[in-house]
Amino acid sequence: MSVAWQQQKEQGTHRSLRFMVWIAQSLGRTPARTFLYPICFYFLIGFGCARQAIRRFRERALNHPVGWLELFRHYHAFASTILDRVYFLTGRFDLFEVEFHGREVLQQELAKGRGCILLGAHVGSFEVVRSLGRSQGNLDVRVVMDEQNAHRIRDITKELNPVVAETVIQVGGVETMLQVKECLDQGGVIGVMGDRVTQDDQTVGCTFLGQEARFPTGPMRLANVARAPVVLFFGLYRGGNRYEVHLESFCDQVQLSPGQREADLRQCVQRYAERLEAVCRQAPDNWFNFYEFWGE
Amino acid sequence: MTAQSPIEQEVAQLLVETLKLKVSAAIIDPVQPLFGDGLGLDSIDALELALAISKTYGYQLKSSDPDIKVIFSSLRALAEAIEKNRTK
Repeated sequence: MSVAWQQQKEQGTHRSLRFMVWIAQSLGRTPARTFLYPICFYFLIGFGCARQAIRRFRERALNHPVGWLELFRHYHAFASTILDRVYFLTGRFDLFEVEFHGREVLQQELAKGRGCILLGAHVGSFEVVRSLGRSQGNLDVRVVMDEQNAHRIRDITKELNPVVAETVIQVGGVETMLQVKECLDQGGVIGVMGDRVTQDDQTVGCTFLGQEARFPTGPMRLANVARAPVVLFFGLYRGGNRYEVHLESFCDQVQLSPGQREADLRQCVQRYAERLEAVCRQAPDNWFNFYEFWGE
Repeated sequence: MTAQSPIEQEVAQLLVETLKLKVSAAIIDPVQPLFGDGLGLDSIDALELALAISKTYGYQLKSSDPDIKVIFSSLRALAEAIEKNRTK
């Protein structure tokens, strides 16, 4: 089931997260990275379900048998982005080489004087979006997050950068999307993830890497109701200290015609799933959904 | 079921039409929860409803309103807030 990640979440991660934050800040990035090897080894060996899920994902994306070394590389990419969150949150952009693709897409949207939805996925690093804010002056990015299921991440974010932590919009309240709309009306950018399904989400089945998977319809429904343009965002980790930020125009308005609302919604989410699929094939190490994405 | 007052009937109608619900406006119990377990509406529905209320009654709901959760808690609470704050 696709909510499986909630059950296997955060197993043993609390202590390792704290440890990594401490190492990252006291030793610096290069020495801290040596610690990623034992940590990855521990998670790779210790959690069979997650390992199987990643193996199956890679087999689907790449069409070849997946060995241990390849799995280790996948885990290492994930651990690297977690470590780098510490630096992105504390403004150490000088440590990284970030290559931007399609930056003008966002500039064009914002020049129209209205906000937009930045639709991402649990692929690579969303936090690298902060480097975008830095290069574009006062870019107001607020990320919609299910903090109840990631409260340890929230606590650490709060310690590292209270200002960023303050901008996170917590899902679950009846007024959440009202707050999102108010932010959009002020020309703000709203970051949402379109890949993970949580318990109460409305979903639709889409073909993804050759098999049907459930995707939440929330982001497209939001774009439709708020009449906000959608820009795709992928912050890919490319090894070493390199990141690639990809911004793509997705649509100016999500139109759902009254008679075929469901079909329109499905078509729209399917188009997103296809873009996500292309990104997954291009940078498979960046897939960070460590659970059985297609259900059991 | 508790009976709907005239304004509640009106708001129930707006709710059903805006959210294209497959239930009749008359069967919405004014004291039952609208969101979550009640009618099964979510936060995006709440936004859509808020925009329709603003258009119809000139009352703009704000996320920062300390009573926002109460206002959205039932048809009755919503209708009361509209009565109190409407500008058209």
